[in-house]
Amino acid sequence: MGGEAWLFLFSVLASAGFLFTTVFFLIMFSDLETDYINPIDLCNKLNQFVLPENIAHAIITTLFLLCGQWTALLINAPLVAFNANKILQKNHMYDATEIFRTLPNHKKESFIKLGFYLLSFFYYLYRYVEMIAALIAGKVPLVKVKESSC
Amino acid sequence: METPPNLPPGWAAQWDSTHQRHLFIESATGRSQWEHPAQFPAAPVAPIDAQPQGQPQPAGTSGKRRQYATGQTQAYYGTPDTSGAQYADAAYAAGQPAQAGGQLFTPGLLAEQGGFQAQQQAPYYAPQEGYANGQYPQQPDPAAPAHQVNQMTNQFAQMGMGQKPFQFQTVNLLSMQPDPRDLHRPPPEIRLPPNATVSPSPSANADPSYKRSTINAVPTTSSLLNKSKVPFALIITPHRTLKEGDEAVPVVSDTVIARCRRCRTYINPYVQFIDGGNRWKCCMCSMSNEVPQLFDWDQARNAPGDRWARAELNHSVVEFIAPTEYMVRPPQPPVYAFLIDVSHAAVQSGMVATATRTILESLDRIPNEDNRTKIAIIAFDVALYFFSLAPGQTETSMLVVSDLDDVFLPKPTDLLVNLTESRGAIEALLGRISDMFQDSHTVGSAMGPALQAGFKMIQSIGGKLMVLSASLPTLGAGALKSREDPKILGTSKESSLLQAASPFYKTFAIECSRAQVSVDMFLFASGYTDIASLSCLPHYTSGQTYFYPAFNAARSEDALKFAHEFGTVLSSPICFEAVMRVRASKGLRMSEFHGNFFVRSTDLLAMPSVPVDQSYAIEVQIEETITAPFVVLQTATLHTTAFGERRIRVVNLALPTTSSMSELYSSVDEVALATLLANKAVERTISHKLEDARDAITNKLIDIMTTYKGSMTAAGSGASSQLAISDNMKMLPLLCLGLLKHVGIRQSAQIPSDLRAYAEALLTTLPSQLLVPFIHPTFYSLHNMPPEAGTVGEQGIILPPPLPLTSERLERHGLFLIEDGQTIFLWVGRDAVPQLVQDVFNLPSYDQLRGGKITLPLLDNPFSQRVNAIIAKTREMRRGPYWPHLYVVKEDGEAPLRLWALSGLIMDRAEQMPSYQQYLGQVRDKVNGSSY
Repeated sequence: MGGEAWLFLFSVLASAGFLFTTVFFLIMFSDLETDYINPIDLCNKLNQFVLPENIAHAIITTLFLLCGQWTALLINAPLVAFNANKILQKNHMYDATEIFRTLPNHKKESFIKLGFYLLSFFYYLYRYVEMIAALIAGKVPLVKVKESSC
Repeated sequence: METPPNLPPGWAAQWDSTHQRHLFIESATGRSQWEHPAQFPAAPVAPIDAQPQGQPQPAGTSGKRRQYATGQTQAYYGTPDTSGAQYADAAYAAGQPAQAGGQLFTPGLLAEQGGFQAQQQAPYYAPQEGYANGQYPQQPDPAAPAHQVNQMTNQFAQMGMGQKPFQFQTVNLLSMQPDPRDLHRPPPEIRLPPNATVSPSPSANADPSYKRSTINAVPTTSSLLNKSKVPFALIITPHRTLKEGDEAVPVVSDTVIARCRRCRTYINPYVQFIDGGNRWKCCMCSMSNEVPQLFDWDQARNAPGDRWARAELNHSVVEFIAPTEYMVRPPQPPVYAFLIDVSHAAVQSGMVATATRTILESLDRIPNEDNRTKIAIIAFDVALYFFSLAPGQTETSMLVVSDLDDVFLPKPTDLLVNLTESRGAIEALLGRISDMFQDSHTVGSAMGPALQAGFKMIQSIGGKLMVLSASLPTLGAGALKSREDPKILGTSKESSLLQAASPFYKTFAIECSRAQVSVDMFLFASGYTDIASLSCLPHYTSGQTYFYPAFNAARSEDALKFAHEFGTVLSSPICFEAVMRVRASKGLRMSEFHGNFFVRSTDLLAMPSVPVDQSYAIEVQIEETITAPFVVLQTATLHTTAFGERRIRVVNLALPTTSSMSELYSSVDEVALATLLANKAVERTISHKLEDARDAITNKLIDIMTTYKGSMTAAGSGASSQLAISDNMKMLPLLCLGLLKHVGIRQSAQIPSDLRAYAEALLTTLPSQLLVPFIHPTFYSLHNMPPEAGTVGEQGIILPPPLPLTSERLERHGLFLIEDGQTIFLWVGRDAVPQLVQDVFNLPSYDQLRGGKITLPLLDNPFSQRVNAIIAKTREMRRGPYWPHLYVVKEDGEAPLRLWALSGLIMDRAEQMPSYQQYLGQVRDKVNGSSY
């Protein structure tokens, strides 16, 4: 009972976390451009976050799959594939020797991710509120109950 | 005794038994001569070094030497008419076909029988008049009309019309035979507006060897630059060798450093003094700055000085001695840590013995003016061997560390020692190392842990790690696998072999760069050593990779080459803990950096050491419209010299701006452009595919050609049977073709990835002077070189005129030299006359000659001396430590060597690569096809 609500609550918090990470990345990139930080420190700092972020995102997507939240799964699947591809090609880490050449791409990528997390944040929030409202009204849709496996 | 045949009437032959040859006597005059009268009819002129006529020749070798048959003499040394018109095609068409005339091969007989009367009188080393007009480089190629027109333009210009207009010549590449001498033309003139500089000094603008630009006139807008398709980049060699006769870089020693307050530009000859000379206006940002008080004060004499005599206002390349504000710590001493591989392979190849002997011999040449230089020696195989070198002793003790996972230094002191204080111990150790490990049978190399140990030892100071390794690193951090797979050579996957296999070499390089540690790699493997991975270390720490494939010190050539190069590197006046920054006038921004360094900030390059003669390419972007009549690009390198002085080397280049496309095209520096293309292509081979890199080169060329045709020629956008380009870019297609066919880039399934990776490391670091021959080898014909070639002239030894790089120029009886700055090939035709083989190689005949590496004997005959002189000059005329190997290539010798030598003839068709004419045809079709 309320498993999905918990799931969406968790996703809302996670995507808030992702949002903060992405903003942090962007701030660091602009610091690099204005020479407040050197590329070695920057890469050491950012690389700590890359894998945890990717793994957390993959876990949430897996939970969507297990709970049968197909829309949420569809939204997240491309990003998981994108991250997995990067990890398989071993270029998920920031490379201090190449960072200035690839900086425009990294910034673009971070901006797109920022937009994506923002959208998904509001989507999860909407679903969460919707479910809580349904719970309070005491009329959980029958269909959802059947599908729920969490 | 036999009667010589074909005596002309009026002559008699007499056998001279002392000299074993005929004496010919003209009955009418009573005159006698040694030469056959049919070839030397009544010779009025005596050969220059021959004995006076009629006098008996002294017995000995010199007498025998001239016993050639007529035809041989001609075939060997060339007849006057062929040598005279070296560049006229007709003469070459007469390249005498090899035919057996008589019992000896005598191609010259053909000419003789065809009424050839103007016979050669003198031996091969005597002057031949024919060459007077083919001389290099004093006289331009008379066939090129461009020069005549140039002269005319110059004449007009000298009639007092002020600023010369840009000469603009369009040439049709298809109807033009490329002349290799054009590659050594100076870059297009930089025409600064009058009064741009405060100094009349001719050295107010940088010499191309320090800094050159791909375009010597900067377009005012980026749209014009983009439209022209010519990339804008700087090619910089801040520190280059000063050979004898080169002007030393002036030093400003009074620590008065005037810099712009806003953009931090150093004062240079292009600033303006305003306000009665009390202020100066920055040439980059137009900021008005105060002139420092001591600027007009001569501190040496303690008297008012002359501002206009200051070096920074008269020279484009100056060095400032930096005060303490430019130091974050006291200047570091030079530090060298030698990491020597002592595994079985290394000891067996003789590398250890040669290396230690070279270090021993170079101890006096290592920069050590103020006795601060420090040295450490670590040997490694499957364990690390440290040597404790206590000062003032000759006893050394060895400490073995076999824990490779967590490397530690076994002793806090005496491992890194002062060279002067511990000289005795160091000498004793170097003399013993190769004996100590003589019986080593260990296989395996802990290079990674050795690097970490060396790093630990010197990280608090910074300095140089010199790695000498003869095997693939297999143990500990940075272990590599033999990943070369012959099946993927030549496929699109090949570029994966050119990427670093282990992240260790990048992360460690970054650590090194931070601690001001630079790594040089000397690699000697007989098998695969993964140069692609190992060269990452020198790449990001401003070091250099040196590769000696299949090194064997038992061959004196190998040992000599390595000892020479290693010794030169050790003794070079290296600089430490450097940073480099390029500043430019408003509107310009440095966008991409290529070369051996670490980019530490958007425009700051970190270089733990600045090796001499290494070149860097920096691309420039035009960000906003430039309104100034000229722009200044200033490179500043802050470094610590080997003698412990903090200095700033400033290199200024001023370029005029232009808004005209034709001026832009006529100011393109093709050599700088090719250098940039080489750098970009190499990066592309690593990040993309080899094929992409090749396509990128050709596409760039096609883009330039298409735009040129569209905007500069009458053909406009229509199809044209010509391929037009401006005169100053006429060698560009050949240089591009040379790049496409270069070992580092060309399409082939036969090139081991080690060779490719090494060639690529060279392509990105060689300065233009070495890079041009590396992609466009020099080709000489030695058997018929002009008489002054190989002798000492005004500018040292005179070289023969270079030939176009096509095998059409090879003759079966000839001796040719092909060199690319890294290797020299002596190509011997299969019908080489025995005398030639005897003279050059001291062997009785061609059959006795063996192909491969050789040391050419210096024989007691002028031809041998001239050939040796040319080879010696080839080896030392360029800057850089390289000592090219000399290979003898027989025309019918081993195929790999022959193909290797012939791959230097880039105008030929080879494998899938087109010949020069075919390539031009392809480019023309694309140029015509893409314009609609």
